[in-house]
Amino acid sequence: MWATNAKIVALSLAVIGFYTLVAHIIPQLQSEVPAQVAVGPGASPEELAAAGERIYSTVCTACHGLGTRAPNLVTDHEGLGPIGARCLARFGDRCKDYLYHSLTAPGDSVVPGFANIMPDMRTQLDANQIWAVIAYLQSQGGEITVTSQDLESAPAQTAQPAAAAVLSATTDPRELLREKGCLGCHAIDGSGPPIGPPFDGIGSRLTREQIREGILNPNATVARGYEQFAGMMPPNFGDQLTAAQLEAIVNFLAGRR
Amino acid sequence: MTELLLLVQAAADTTGAYGHFPLIGARAAVWIAAEVHLMFAAFVLGVPMFAVITELIGIVGKDPKYDKLSKEFTRLLVFAYSATALWGAVLVFFLTTLYPRFWGHLTQIFGLSMWIYVGLFFAESFTLYLYYYGWDRWNAGRSKWFHWSLGVLLNVWGTIVMFIANGWLTYMMSPPEGATAQGLPPEVTMWGAIANATWMPINIHRLLGNAVFGGTVAAAYAAYRFLASKTPEERAHYDWMGYVGNFIAISVFIVLPFAGYWLGREIYAYDQSMGITMMGGFMSWLWVVQAVLIGVLFLAANYYLWIGMQRIPGAERFTPYTKWMLLVLVVCWIVWATPHTLIVTREEQAAMGGQFHPFLDVLGVMSAKNTAVNLMILTTFLSFLLYRRGNKRLTVEWARQGTMVQGAMFVIAAVVVVFFGIYGYFVPDTVRIGFSVYQVLSVLACIVGVTVVDLFLTRGAESKGEIRWGQMPERSQYALFILAVTFTWLMGLMGFARSGIRQHWHVWQVLPDTSPYASTPALGYAANMISLCVIVFLGLVAFIFWLGGLAERAFSKEQPAPGLSPQPAMGD
Repeated sequence: MWATNAKIVALSLAVIGFYTLVAHIIPQLQSEVPAQVAVGPGASPEELAAAGERIYSTVCTACHGLGTRAPNLVTDHEGLGPIGARCLARFGDRCKDYLYHSLTAPGDSVVPGFANIMPDMRTQLDANQIWAVIAYLQSQGGEITVTSQDLESAPAQTAQPAAAAVLSATTDPRELLREKGCLGCHAIDGSGPPIGPPFDGIGSRLTREQIREGILNPNATVARGYEQFAGMMPPNFGDQLTAAQLEAIVNFLAGRR
Repeated sequence: MTELLLLVQAAADTTGAYGHFPLIGARAAVWIAAEVHLMFAAFVLGVPMFAVITELIGIVGKDPKYDKLSKEFTRLLVFAYSATALWGAVLVFFLTTLYPRFWGHLTQIFGLSMWIYVGLFFAESFTLYLYYYGWDRWNAGRSKWFHWSLGVLLNVWGTIVMFIANGWLTYMMSPPEGATAQGLPPEVTMWGAIANATWMPINIHRLLGNAVFGGTVAAAYAAYRFLASKTPEERAHYDWMGYVGNFIAISVFIVLPFAGYWLGREIYAYDQSMGITMMGGFMSWLWVVQAVLIGVLFLAANYYLWIGMQRIPGAERFTPYTKWMLLVLVVCWIVWATPHTLIVTREEQAAMGGQFHPFLDVLGVMSAKNTAVNLMILTTFLSFLLYRRGNKRLTVEWARQGTMVQGAMFVIAAVVVVFFGIYGYFVPDTVRIGFSVYQVLSVLACIVGVTVVDLFLTRGAESKGEIRWGQMPERSQYALFILAVTFTWLMGLMGFARSGIRQHWHVWQVLPDTSPYASTPALGYAANMISLCVIVFLGLVAFIFWLGGLAERAFSKEQPAPGLSPQPAMGD
């Protein structure tokens, strides 16, 4: 019986060893803890970006690395360059606010062709880590405008997205449309992305009440031909605009016939 | 400098939150205790399921052989039960001393359920002892039904105990909204934390998994006794026992992927990023290893059946088909184990013309994998059907038509599976995901439909000869060991997958792991740990079964054992 016992033990160990071997010869990927941002006041943009890269490579690349589940942010996209270049070209000096909003309210900025799968990154990263990631993204072809002051004044975990925190007093409708990121989706003067209905001619398509309703409650009605982008427009412009600003925008759009 | 700052930060976060375990570290200690406890628990929850079923078959069919088999299953249970409790105690002590902050968080939320758990554990223990030691006392008439009801009760206690523990562990994966490191919000009750998003899918998955696990370990026990037996009667008995254990294991194993699919869907629905980590993130290669293991399970199970047909008079007419079934299994296995996302250098990527390999990319996607696994399930079911038909000569008038209908069901199911597999390449992801449901349903419909037709078809069938139990080549028994070892290892791997997708969180996005072991290890390290746990578990099982054998021999000397004789097949 000893021979049989030896055979059973040898077979069992061989089977266990085989599986262990298979697990060792495949790529060894370890899930790292997102790096703590260990940079203090006066940190250089490069130090911030370096800290952000460590976080990006451990947290973000599962989706953004291949470019199949989410856009690849560090490579060229449709000839517009990587994310830093694209963001700078599109939002100028408000790029970091856009990126912060994209990380904390990603459902508002889903790139066409991709699903709305990204969580609010405040559930996984603290505010300093988020700013470090933004610095890294800006470094990809753009200009790093995140500073150590952003880290120190970073909103708490429960804070509203940055877009809500940057109220301005202007009532210039064009300035407001640019400031609120409307032109990131709506074309005006014949140019701009076709994610939302163009502002040109909107006054002949909608009444003042419909325009106002469309700003305050954008998901109540979806414009024909834009169903695939339903839900993208932030529903919180009522909290971001003063009554005078809202009316300025409504009047401006209603006049574009 | 940065590393130093990180260490200082970690020290500040973790003061008093973690203990130290010498040599192997706290995580490895808890890993071993939890995994080995879980393996024993799966065994003691799985075995009572079919102990009760086989006892019922014995009562209804008035066949004492089934009763004896049931008792033998239960005897394994009694010894394994103590080991389960011991490892459970080790796990609790490790958690309280090595992860006190995390354990405090759990006890704060689930304290009441832990007391209930302990109470049920007492009830389960006493019921088990009554069930086993009362076997010969309550063995006839109404008292036999009372005894059987004890077995049912044992299953009820065990299932509730498992469901409670599942509430704790699934809370760690999918805590209710509003949960914080300080506890639950006022509007969420303990029950709300238990009945979280992944609780029921895990419950069902584990119920099925336990049955498979219990079946494979019991079959391995029977295989050992077969190899050690000294008389033809003993060989016949343990050959039959091994067959029954394997039959139960593989029957339930066939539906296990569907429960896993449900669990996966719930994980995705709860948190997309967790689902992506599981299937496409750093854990994506785990599924290649899983495919290797499940392929071995399918091959070993089919091999055992094909060898077993040699002891069935008349079954030799099916032998020519086995090589084709083997071909289907191997091809499907290769497809299933094909990786999709390759880790490549820039040069390799340039040579491939992109991130994905031009040929492997086609086989590595879910369309191909789902098709492969469904065809493997169909093939295994066909093996079972041929085994069952082995010594039967059909006598019903519609035998030919009935067999053709069964064949048509197989063909239709296979065509549906292949059609949606190919069609999946031409539709968007969101549409393709839904195709797997059609593939699964067609296979399930085939299994149910063919089984129902077969039950009527084989009514009154003539026998071409009794199954020659015990006349089985020894190599067949080693297939049962491979099944047991593989399934045990697979359980360890899936445990790592379930736990690992939380990454550096004790409780997903509620309670972070700030210990030195917070990063989730790569598969190589995990494989070492899994193998260690499997060796510890199987070593202890062997020791426990040896003890059981000692007790049996001591009992035999005091009073002669009832006679052993060749047994009929299940369902014959």
